[in-house]
Amino acid sequence: MIELSHVSKRFGEDTAVDDISLHVAKGKFCALVGSSGCGKSTTLRMINRLIAHSSGDIILDGQLVEQYNPVKLRRRIGYVIQSTGLFPHWTVARNIGLVPRLLKWSSNDVTTRVNELMHLLGLPVEEFAHKYPHQLSGGQAQRVGVARALAADPDILLMDEPFGALDPITREKLQDELAKLQARLHKTVVFVTHDMDEALKLADHLVVMREGRIVQQGTPLALLQHPNDPFVESLLGGLERGLKQAALTRVKDHMTSLGQSLPAQARIPADFSLRQALSMMLRDHCDRLTVVDQQDMPIGELSLRKIVKEARVDKVSHRDA
Amino acid sequence: MLAASWLLSPVSVAPNRIVAGESYGLVAAIGWPGGLLVTLLFLAIGGLAIAPSRTHYYAQLGIVTLALLLMPFGLMVAGHWLIAADLPQARLGIGAAYWTVLFLLMLCLVELRLRLGLSRLWTTLLLGIVVGAWLVCASQWLENLALVQEFQARDQQFYRALVQHIALVSTAVSVSVVAGLILAMLMRRYRRLQKVSFALLNFLQTIPSLALFGLLLAPLAWLAANVPLLAEMGVSGIGTTPALIALIAYSLLPMVRNTYIALEEVSPDTLEAAKAMGMRASQRFWQVRFPLALPILLEGVRITTVQAIGLTAVAALIGAGGLGTFIFQGLGQAAMDMVLLGALPILVLALIVDASLGALADVLRPGGH
Repeated sequence: MIELSHVSKRFGEDTAVDDISLHVAKGKFCALVGSSGCGKSTTLRMINRLIAHSSGDIILDGQLVEQYNPVKLRRRIGYVIQSTGLFPHWTVARNIGLVPRLLKWSSNDVTTRVNELMHLLGLPVEEFAHKYPHQLSGGQAQRVGVARALAADPDILLMDEPFGALDPITREKLQDELAKLQARLHKTVVFVTHDMDEALKLADHLVVMREGRIVQQGTPLALLQHPNDPFVESLLGGLERGLKQAALTRVKDHMTSLGQSLPAQARIPADFSLRQALSMMLRDHCDRLTVVDQQDMPIGELSLRKIVKEARVDKVSHRDA
Repeated sequence: MLAASWLLSPVSVAPNRIVAGESYGLVAAIGWPGGLLVTLLFLAIGGLAIAPSRTHYYAQLGIVTLALLLMPFGLMVAGHWLIAADLPQARLGIGAAYWTVLFLLMLCLVELRLRLGLSRLWTTLLLGIVVGAWLVCASQWLENLALVQEFQARDQQFYRALVQHIALVSTAVSVSVVAGLILAMLMRRYRRLQKVSFALLNFLQTIPSLALFGLLLAPLAWLAANVPLLAEMGVSGIGTTPALIALIAYSLLPMVRNTYIALEEVSPDTLEAAKAMGMRASQRFWQVRFPLALPILLEGVRITTVQAIGLTAVAALIGAGGLGTFIFQGLGQAAMDMVLLGALPILVLALIVDASLGALADVLRPGGH
């Protein structure tokens, strides 16, 4: 659990982070989004005390961060940065095993853990264990970076634009893998990015920052539905907002039971997103889809009219709440 | 190379040490068959160069090595032919053509190494074989050679000078490595110190070496005269003490500069990651910053050592001993071969240090990076 309350950071005259309050519950994925220089990286680095905050309280698991020994604190927090920060003179295996070795694990335990993590991140041990960082592609290097951060099984993971330097295809692949990993490991993650789509895809809790302040925070869906500021709205893509919202909604949440009328020709799996459903309708020139389960058996029906209507109902119900 | 071997004289013969020798041409020295062999070898090297390819380069490498291996035998043949048995004082000098060919063959070797991308190890091995063959020839069959005679006349003295030379260089370099590391670390902590030290060290570097030796003479002599303890420790105006002080003063600049740059150039991202992983300051220094700086730091040791090997030759002038002694004695007696007896080992020493420290730096680069 991470709690920031009225935290500020001043560098001389400049205020980099201005009175922010933020709560990340255990096992939740929190994304800090904003343009460069908005204070999001500074916020992240105050959590593991790479930077000392000027005022306010930062509480980890019920204790103020300054009450922890900084070295011990950092060993129980995973940290991933854009440039990976891998040690160029160490092999992949040695890089990953760093924190367990600092914690004086036995060498057998370290090896077992390193192999486990390489397996988890899709890096075949025989192929990669003895490679040096400069022999890796950007994507492979960042997998090693994530493996190193997870090595001592920390509860908290801090990630500073980890996929920012990767090409779009690799980035998307690693985002998907991180989402799967998080679904299994349930770490408390604080993730800094300037890519709103990345944040929408991964986060449980979205924090939009601008000039050192938090402009708005909430679930991705809540922000998409009610951006309270033109800046947030533009970050969320303006007119694209509807589609982004649809991308976060599953088909199965909007389907109706199979009606009396003839089932539609086009079929869509129930765990696809509404955005994919809309795209399929546009492609196939139809306004109804048959929803199928994993065995390709029809289990319901999705109609364009219903999607549009429910989007409006969503809006109303959220206003009421 | 051909022109050099035919037009210049490969050897000269002098009846004794002082008189200038009489020069002989290629044919006179090693006869027609020898001359033909030399010509063929060089033509082959030239011919292979017309159509460059990897196989041709390897063939060239083979011929160059062969030529280098054959060179002492040329001297042996010449010695056998030209020196009459009844003149025990007569000696064989090495002439301009011989040096030129040797130099050009070495140049070929360097060029071929670059083109073929051979590793340092291979070149060192190749040169080791050549030098070994030379030494065996020199010790067994080349007693007529002036250089060998000079050596045999004072082999004890030579070994003592060699040991002295190496001792002076290694003392000066190890002191400056330690002092350089300490100074560089202090400079990283106190930025003000950095400007002052670099200015001072730069200034020291500009004083001519002979002048620095001279400048140290008076204060050290005074100290030795007035502080008995220092005199007992062997401090005096001339000899080892001023030589060491001067050598260390010169060695400090390249050492400090390289150490400082090496330590500063380590990527800040890597260091921040080290900190964020929970490494203590000392762990960050010894496990990350220092090993990453080591290749550049060793480069500094290499430059410093090579420079010190050369400078130590000058230190002979103030009675510090070393191989420079032969150079200055030889110059004084107009005996060029004696100068060579001092100069050649200095050259070889510098090359050995250069190659081995360079190779070490290569090995220490992460993953041959």
